[in-house]
Amino acid sequence: MNAWIDASPWRRAWLRWRFHLCLLILLVPVCFFSASMHEQRLDSGQQGIGMRELPVKAIGPWSVRLAEKTLMAPTADGAAGHVKPFVAAFCQDCVPQIRAAYLRIGKPRNLRAAGALFYGSLYRTEAYLVVPPTLKQADQIWLTVEGWDGSVHQTSWPLAEASPVLLDWFKQQGKIE
Amino acid sequence: MGGKPSRAKFWFLLHSWLAMPIWAFVFFVCLTGTLATVSQEINWLVDPAFRANKPSATAQSIGFDGALAALHRAEPAADVQWMMQTEDYFAIQARATYPDASSATLYVNPYSGAIQGRAPEVTLRSFLRALHGWLLVPFKGGTSIGWYLVSALSIPLLGSLITGLIVYKKFWRGFFKFRIRFSQGARVAWGDFHRLAGVWSLWFVGVIAITAFWLLIQAVMWTARVSISTAGPPVMVAREEVPIVQPGQAIPRVSMAQSMEAARQALPEGFHPTFVGTQANAYSHVRVWGRSGSWPLLYESASVNPYTGAVEDSRKLSDRSKLELVTESMRPLHAGDFGGLAVKLIWAFFGALLSLMVFSGMLIWTKRTAQASAALLKKRERLASAAVVLQQEGGQ
Repeated sequence: MNAWIDASPWRRAWLRWRFHLCLLILLVPVCFFSASMHEQRLDSGQQGIGMRELPVKAIGPWSVRLAEKTLMAPTADGAAGHVKPFVAAFCQDCVPQIRAAYLRIGKPRNLRAAGALFYGSLYRTEAYLVVPPTLKQADQIWLTVEGWDGSVHQTSWPLAEASPVLLDWFKQQGKIE
Repeated sequence: MGGKPSRAKFWFLLHSWLAMPIWAFVFFVCLTGTLATVSQEINWLVDPAFRANKPSATAQSIGFDGALAALHRAEPAADVQWMMQTEDYFAIQARATYPDASSATLYVNPYSGAIQGRAPEVTLRSFLRALHGWLLVPFKGGTSIGWYLVSALSIPLLGSLITGLIVYKKFWRGFFKFRIRFSQGARVAWGDFHRLAGVWSLWFVGVIAITAFWLLIQAVMWTARVSISTAGPPVMVAREEVPIVQPGQAIPRVSMAQSMEAARQALPEGFHPTFVGTQANAYSHVRVWGRSGSWPLLYESASVNPYTGAVEDSRKLSDRSKLELVTESMRPLHAGDFGGLAVKLIWAFFGALLSLMVFSGMLIWTKRTAQASAALLKKRERLASAAVVLQQEGGQ
């Protein structure tokens, strides 16, 4: 207590107010407020379907917009290896006709190997693209769509177009054959 | 203050120091946590659209199927992902996506099927959760620094509980000492309140501190990517069971009521379905979720094949390991989310009490220190002036 009495006014103020400095922690939520709101709004699709959207592309009788959900490099996901999320938005009239969509790097040999299945409403549906250990020069990103009537349609994008981030990641890893 | 501080003094100082330097942070977390326990009830109070008002005294619930049909009549293009009704005084919530790729949560009256309103993009519930749980600090790779900061408060909270018990000798006598001395100044009154509220909320502080400590451990596990889950990979509907449907024909699927009934049959007695997730693609199951009848802290679920109505996968209490039963109970125990409104209100009451204890602890400390230093200052001044007098009288 003696310290209080002998102290200079500055020191006395410090001793008096030091325990209230923790009020400053409230600046943390204030600083992150708008970033947090933006992040929560991403789930509602109000900010577009993804962080980088490609132009509308025809796929058989239907049309689709593909987007990278984030601009991040692929992330490790346990046994699946590395994955990267993509979003697809199908046209209003084609949604009732489509029963599933798949995304894969490299042309699928058959429907069972068509790649990652899309989940969620086809108005804005998501798939975790599985990234292969190595990339062949000619490899593209293939979207396979299966209709309720059993028909199958495909389209593809060069990696440089669909996801420059992913292409750079392969380059950095030196995994392009 | 000379001499060796006694053992009691040591515990007392430790009790003060545990929370005093971070009192505002602890107070903020307690306050937001208190509000979070009843966030949906607050929403019910402020937003009439979230209420399940009966149009007439005899009105019957139309169920999820009725609500879905009404929703489709009102908004034919809406594609519904899930429907939920957690309490019968809340409207049915339906998550729908639209042709412009936007999604919204609609509030549907469970009796009339009227769309009463839409949830804001960021609900009060999710906002308070984020504010209380991780100070809005975004997650990067499964980790938010905010989550660590908040859950680490479980340590001083537990410390305050233990040191408080040591300091307050024979605390068990305090339960029925409903005495708050208002006449002897604010410090004494706050001190009496602090002790009385302390003994009555011992159990609550213990529950909150221990469950929050688990949330800290959980964050470490997320960061280290350690999983204790025994849940298997999701089961898919067999390709040959997905029908071929020509354009213009309806896809033959079982109703929501049929899915819920199938889940009820497959899961143990007392299962109460409150959430149905529609198919996420032609090969996924309809998921029915609800509280377990025997241990309402946890949810059980069943995956129903929408073409056959058969339950093809389920997650029951008995499928969980003992470790999972304990760890999965931590969050509902922390939030008071397991026994309806009554438990929520108890949690909110004791949460408010805990917030006030943090605040009163701070007030007691500052007032005591301020009084003690003022007293010392007076004493010193008297001594100093006496010394001057002595010096003058004593001659050079």
